[in-house]
Amino acid sequence: MNFNEIAKRCEAGRLTESKDFLMKSVAANAMKLGKEYDITWDGKTFLNTDDDMADRCFQAGRELFINTGIYSMNSSRVVQFSKREVDDALRFIRPQVAMGAGKDRVFIHHRQVEDARKPFIFCGPFNANVHEDMFVRLNEVFSRERIVDCLFFPGYLNEVDGQLIRPTSALATRMAILYGQWAREAVRRGGRPGMAIAGHAVMAPGEIACTHEEWGLRSTDPRAMVLISELQVDDVTLTRLAYYQAYGCPIYMAFTPLVGGYGGNVAGTSVVAVASFIASIMLGGEIVHIGPQHMKYKQQTNQHSLFLASLANQAVARNSNIIATTSHTTSGRPGSAQYAYEFSALALTAVTSGSNVSGPRPAEPLGNNNVSPLMGKLFAEVAHAAAGMSREQAAPIVEALYEKYKDNLDLENAPKGQPFEELYDLNTLTPTPEHQALYDQVKQELADLGIPLV
Amino acid sequence: MADAEQIYEMMRKSIQDYDSDAAVAAAELAVAEGLDLLEAVEKGFANPIRELGEAFDRMEIFLPELTLGADAMKAGVAVLEKALNEQGGKLEKKATVVVGTVEGDIHDIGKSVVATLLQANGYEVYDLGVEVPAQRIIEAAESHNADVIAMSALLSTTMLYQRDVIELLTNKGIRDKYFILVGGAPVTQAWADEIGADGFAHDAFEAVQLLDGVMEGRGK
Repeated sequence: MNFNEIAKRCEAGRLTESKDFLMKSVAANAMKLGKEYDITWDGKTFLNTDDDMADRCFQAGRELFINTGIYSMNSSRVVQFSKREVDDALRFIRPQVAMGAGKDRVFIHHRQVEDARKPFIFCGPFNANVHEDMFVRLNEVFSRERIVDCLFFPGYLNEVDGQLIRPTSALATRMAILYGQWAREAVRRGGRPGMAIAGHAVMAPGEIACTHEEWGLRSTDPRAMVLISELQVDDVTLTRLAYYQAYGCPIYMAFTPLVGGYGGNVAGTSVVAVASFIASIMLGGEIVHIGPQHMKYKQQTNQHSLFLASLANQAVARNSNIIATTSHTTSGRPGSAQYAYEFSALALTAVTSGSNVSGPRPAEPLGNNNVSPLMGKLFAEVAHAAAGMSREQAAPIVEALYEKYKDNLDLENAPKGQPFEELYDLNTLTPTPEHQALYDQVKQELADLGIPLV
Repeated sequence: MADAEQIYEMMRKSIQDYDSDAAVAAAELAVAEGLDLLEAVEKGFANPIRELGEAFDRMEIFLPELTLGADAMKAGVAVLEKALNEQGGKLEKKATVVVGTVEGDIHDIGKSVVATLLQANGYEVYDLGVEVPAQRIIEAAESHNADVIAMSALLSTTMLYQRDVIELLTNKGIRDKYFILVGGAPVTQAWADEIGADGFAHDAFEAVQLLDGVMEGRGK
């Protein structure tokens, strides 16, 4: 749909309070439609294998979206769409999007359930605070990993010279410019000058300033927007959307359905997730990211989230051309084996369910630079290995992995991990022998469990 | 005529059924029957809403049910409190809390769960919403004579404003009037210590436990 029409509806839709939208519209409809379409979860299954339920979930999500629309948080108005508008938008989705430039140009595709094509890999210091002194070097190492298709969220710069940055300040805009310059410099140093860089600089109001074809983020770089749970959008996101659409950037739209939140249980939240996929498309999203979040665990590899990721992804993979990608948010942190067990469990689930992959990231990174490009490489290798596996093959491996980390889901108890500067030799920008040994050991364990890693 | 236990049971059921109308009807009956209204609040509404909160923590119920249950409790307690005030009595609250998500941050859900569970556990709560500037948080705390300021931030950049509130309170010479609680995804105990907050909670349940301990210590 034309962005102008969306922006107009944000000013002209039905006026209502946020709580009423969430409770009377989203929650009430999600629960009702979940029952009507018989969307269920037995509390035991890790990975959905019921195609008919995936199809019903898509229909329920479509109906939910048509009933509820999207809530504009700043104007307090509901943006609604007709059935025809929704079906037209779904019909005209482009199943392939290009990003990056020159020899570094790559394509992301819509994937089918159990698709043999390798998933697209978004990988980088996702969600981590990255210190200005380490920003370029750390991102350079990510870009050197050839298996990574797109440098993903080069990290949050939230201080400069020890000064914390207020998000709407001039300093925030200055840091957004540096973010663009340094991210571009990092991929140049990595030998991939046209490599796509996806993300946002967190200081959203001034972030447009990091756009520059020579030194910053380009029209060939996907720009990430985030919907607020559930089915809500704010003016900052719409402002960025207006600019990046006009500038020609691929639009990467993310949402995080909350199990236990306004969607209720896993079934209801799966319906909300499908509605959010469709909402993302209506707003102009071309790549749609689901973060199967959980209210209690605050991460995405718990059993509820695994099933949600499988069901919602299968619903859109089977019934639309939406290009989906799934974020991987773990309790364990980089530098621990648990981190790898968790992202592997979700990657197997997501990839066999028709998704591409984004991540991994710890839900609660500790301090600056709590990231590992080597673990990013392993994540990508697992995701590639999952391509072509059946859900029946993947499910017991997911369960075996879950058994390894289920008692350490609590963020307090989860392994603390280590920062980049302890996992890598900063002179050579290579993993320390200990970190390399961890990678070798975990990769062997994953292979022994049945993941076809080469 | 219904006896006290029957009326308490009606109140309990109204919470379990998430039924505000039934909660009001049961509360009106309690007033009409001349029950001990403080006991009615505790046995009829406070206990079942706490049970509902525990069920939420176990993920046996979810946010919509918790919200509807809390709405029912508020509707019922409002009837009892009005009658109590007319009788010259007063419903004692554990403490008065102003809660909000700081400036520049539009995330609402975590903060709303904190507000709901604090209310369910006997606190008087003023929910200021999201994107609340430091000055407004302080004005609200002052005007409601609050004991606690609770601030949420979901972004590593917006947590900076938690520090600003404390700094502004200090500059005004009123920092020590308040117990300051901070939370939100990027917030840690180390951050709470760095900015001089009094407490940090990972989630709503920890927030309630922490404040219960503090208020008990203060003898409130």
